[in-house]
Amino acid sequence: MKTTMKSDSKLFSFFKYAALVGILLFLLFPLYWVLITAFKTNMEAYRYPPTFFPRVPVLDSFISLFRENNQFFVYYKNNIIVSSLVALLCCVIAIFSGYSLARFKNQWNKWFFALLLASQMFPVISRMISLYSIMGKLGIINTLGGLSLALLAAQAPFCIILMSSFFAGIPLEIEEAAYVDGAGRWRILFSIVTPLVKSGLVAVGIYAFLMTWDDYLHAATLIQADMKRTLSVGIALRYLGELSYDWSLVNTISIVGTIPVVLLFFFFQKYMIKGLVAGAVKG
Amino acid sequence: MKTKTLSSKKSDSLFSLLLDLPAFLLLAGFIVVPIIDSVVKSFQTFGIKNIITKKPGVWNDFANYLYLFKTDDFTGATLHTFSFVLGVVLVQFLLAILLALILNSNIKGARFMRSVMMTPWVVPTVISALIWMWLFQPQYGLLKYLVSVVTFGKVSEFAILNNPSTALLGVGVAALWKQIPLMTLLLLAGLQNVPQDISEAAMIDGAGKLRRFFSIILPYLSPVIKVSVSMSIIENFKQFPLFWTMTGGGPNNATTTLAVLSYREAFVSMNLGAGAAVTTLWMLMMIVVIFGYNKLFRVQEF
Repeated sequence: MKTTMKSDSKLFSFFKYAALVGILLFLLFPLYWVLITAFKTNMEAYRYPPTFFPRVPVLDSFISLFRENNQFFVYYKNNIIVSSLVALLCCVIAIFSGYSLARFKNQWNKWFFALLLASQMFPVISRMISLYSIMGKLGIINTLGGLSLALLAAQAPFCIILMSSFFAGIPLEIEEAAYVDGAGRWRILFSIVTPLVKSGLVAVGIYAFLMTWDDYLHAATLIQADMKRTLSVGIALRYLGELSYDWSLVNTISIVGTIPVVLLFFFFQKYMIKGLVAGAVKG
Repeated sequence: MKTKTLSSKKSDSLFSLLLDLPAFLLLAGFIVVPIIDSVVKSFQTFGIKNIITKKPGVWNDFANYLYLFKTDDFTGATLHTFSFVLGVVLVQFLLAILLALILNSNIKGARFMRSVMMTPWVVPTVISALIWMWLFQPQYGLLKYLVSVVTFGKVSEFAILNNPSTALLGVGVAALWKQIPLMTLLLLAGLQNVPQDISEAAMIDGAGKLRRFFSIILPYLSPVIKVSVSMSIIENFKQFPLFWTMTGGGPNNATTTLAVLSYREAFVSMNLGAGAAVTTLWMLMMIVVIFGYNKLFRVQEF
């Protein structure tokens, strides 16, 4: 009896570790592959069978990205501008509406919450078909400002719900005490409650930044000038259009395009993980 | 006294309205109005001419919808969308819960692995498409090499994205890669809320691992499962950049989903009315699926 149980659990832990290694390889090996390809010469990248470690690591493709293909950095700059703007405005909106949703349980807020949930469901393309002509009429198509507003509307619902779950954790007594001391509503919100949900605010800001950095469809439809393109669309149109791809360059672009968000995520990981769980599970 | 509470309640709701106003205006202007407008446009002849001349569309007696059903494209796109969603969500859930259970089982380095495994989620979608296109590359790709090694050189040509019967699978793999981390993270958070003592008591009573999983862990986890699976359904239903970058809907329309079809109609053929007809039917399907999903889940809980 005892021996069967022991071998049983041995078999079990074998499968456990095999599954763990298998899934982690699936998730992480592609990243390694991109990394080593970027440091290979084009000759070596096109070698078959492929090499699992670059024979002579070179920086050729990084240099060519900076020297010859530097239109990339125009897209990069635009992406940074748009993502930062959206993240900043998203924080402001999330403070306003998140606080309102957490504190005032009235009929209007019930409907508002339903609107927030529903608006995340609709396909982006259906909005773009209409925004393309509406924003054209308003003259804000093909501007980074217009693009940011459209993206802000797309990110705001999740951010508001996320923020409200943080506000809901602040005890009401704190506000009441401040109210008795004569503080007004705006002062209570900005100088007493908001400082207490700083970690939530960080999560909201980073989340909005990451999601905006990822955008493809908004920029693909609302931006036409090459100088105003953002990263995803710029990469897809400029570096994938040719008949034969320069794969070392493409892999280099992948790395340079991912670095800011990876750094941001890992630097603020603690807040992000807490925030994602709170926003998804409580919302 | 009474009047004071009344007025404070009134000012409460006034204040909350004021706070909601910016978000409400934003959502109304960039989500609600555009969606209604796109449904309206689906009943109109609305193309590039209307945009240039700024003339409104004209009612066209369902011509956009009739046009969609003239060919097999729409039916095919619906089929591809549903098989993509079903396949990706199912496999994603199984792998994510497996990984979450393993990471939750007191193994060494679980915290470290949890944070490292999140990396694919952070990688931008278009870049994940590039990563997998490179792995799948027909001449020098890693997958081709692995397949030929595993089959002892019997299969020497393997181009997953160029073959109509495997292309959808190829895009699905990239989607799984990007999405498994978030679902694992959410399920892991849910698992950490399962009370340890109940599970331990059941173990003392002789309940095996499987038994404990199905009768204790799963019921506790079900709210988290419900939310994370519905998030995944919505995301995959809407998936566009992966398809557009990796296959463009091809080969031979094998990966043309509703997203690809609507984008192609609206922004490549510049027939915005027909594109809007696709998105309108697509939204209806999504509402039905989410509604059905919520119903199904409620029944299963009891």
